[in-house]
Amino acid sequence: MIQRHQRIVFWCLIACILGMGALLAWERHRGRERIEALAADQAPLDSPTAMAETVTLELANDSDGTISPASRQIALPEEANARARALIDHLIAEYALPGSPHALPPGSAVAEVFLLPLPLVGYTTDSTAKVTKDGGFLPTAPVASNDPDPLQPKQPGGELAVIDLHSTFVNQHPSGVEVESLTLRSILGTLHANLPQIEQVRFLVDGQARETLAGHADLLRTYPAVNTTSGGNSENVGQSN
Amino acid sequence: MTGMGRAQTAPPRTAASQQDAVPSRPALQSSLPIPAPITINRKLIVLDPAHGGVDSGSQISDTTVEKDVTLALAYRLRSLLTARGFTVVMTRDADVPSEPDAAGTALTLDDRAGMANHAHAAACLVLHATGSGTGVHLYRSELEASSGVPTVVPWLTAQAAWIPQSQSLEKQVAMAFSRSGISLVTSNASVRPIDSLTCPALVVELAPSGDDADSINNTDYQQRVALAIAGAMLFWQDEVRPPARLSASIGATAGRSTQSDTTGAQP
Repeated sequence: MIQRHQRIVFWCLIACILGMGALLAWERHRGRERIEALAADQAPLDSPTAMAETVTLELANDSDGTISPASRQIALPEEANARARALIDHLIAEYALPGSPHALPPGSAVAEVFLLPLPLVGYTTDSTAKVTKDGGFLPTAPVASNDPDPLQPKQPGGELAVIDLHSTFVNQHPSGVEVESLTLRSILGTLHANLPQIEQVRFLVDGQARETLAGHADLLRTYPAVNTTSGGNSENVGQSN
Repeated sequence: MTGMGRAQTAPPRTAASQQDAVPSRPALQSSLPIPAPITINRKLIVLDPAHGGVDSGSQISDTTVEKDVTLALAYRLRSLLTARGFTVVMTRDADVPSEPDAAGTALTLDDRAGMANHAHAAACLVLHATGSGTGVHLYRSELEASSGVPTVVPWLTAQAAWIPQSQSLEKQVAMAFSRSGISLVTSNASVRPIDSLTCPALVVELAPSGDDADSINNTDYQQRVALAIAGAMLFWQDEVRPPARLSASIGATAGRSTQSDTTGAQP
């Protein structure tokens, strides 16, 4: 004969087991949703529709401080901005692999890449012009003549790439002169190797200017996009803003 | 950026910087103004132990932060350099870098560069530390070398005129590390405030001696690194030459050394 209090304990235990099972299923469902959201965020805006192509990634090595080229087969989007972003995301994904010689945190590094034609000029509305009859916008005029030292292209069609990094990536980046410099040189070299129209690069973090990557490498200056492989034709430009 | 647009035009203000400085020659009567020579104190070294105060720098291990390692290395270097007859100016000799005439006011990176520039030192060494890699990492500015010091020096590219001297200093220090058997990586980097320094300038980043990150605190290892640098400075004091100062009227025709520039380069 099972006593009454034992029956109560038994049914309480059954209720707890069922409750925990439901909680577990709910948490698992939430986890799957989080992963799907993260995966959706990492996808380039212009999903690749072309066949895989050979690209050159300039890979860093912390042990000897070198950058060396490596070929990869990657499907990239056609649009140049999305292409630059996808290249950098693939590069950072290489560093997130186990055993990487330049270990970086996994996850999406780049929020957006903006390509701007050089020389970098601003535009202002022409205040002397009359408003169009249909109420349209005022015509604009370049204001390059007001800037004594605008960024100039070296070749016709040269572009400035503004790379907007995620703060989650920057905040987790290892700190040190070498490791930070290698990350920047790796990005610059990869862009130069695959998108030669990019001549200069600036960095933002969550849309804002930031002094350093992780306490050392300067993020306020404009970097030249050049061959950064060790022993390569590295070109130094002292352009700071 | 706090220092944007500032020009390093002020005269030296520290007493030590006046030692061994080459006196300016009297102005010659000429239609072209002869710029004053750039003075260098061959017996003065500036050490900048990076970070300090709330800025701890990188977390090298569970118990070690970068600001403590850079300060410890700077203390060792100061002792060794002083023993070799050098005067050493440190941008901080305690945890918090502070203005000497404004108690509690923390120094910015630009303040540190200003302090170094006023010293007119034979070498400016910015000390960093990291847990990644091994040995010592040696960097100079990424700026492109200019042909001389312009009349008005842009703050953000002040190092450009000193790049050839920084390259020579890098070679001298690299040879010293090679003789000491310390593994070395040399490269260029854009690390503030090195681009604003008007002296032969290097970033010296100390990494662990082996796989264990805490080996960076090994006193024998730090002493070997400091000895190599101090030895290199002994050779460097005879080699350092100030860059030519560009005449205002000559402007960008640069590259020319005036007679007074040459005089300024003599010890």
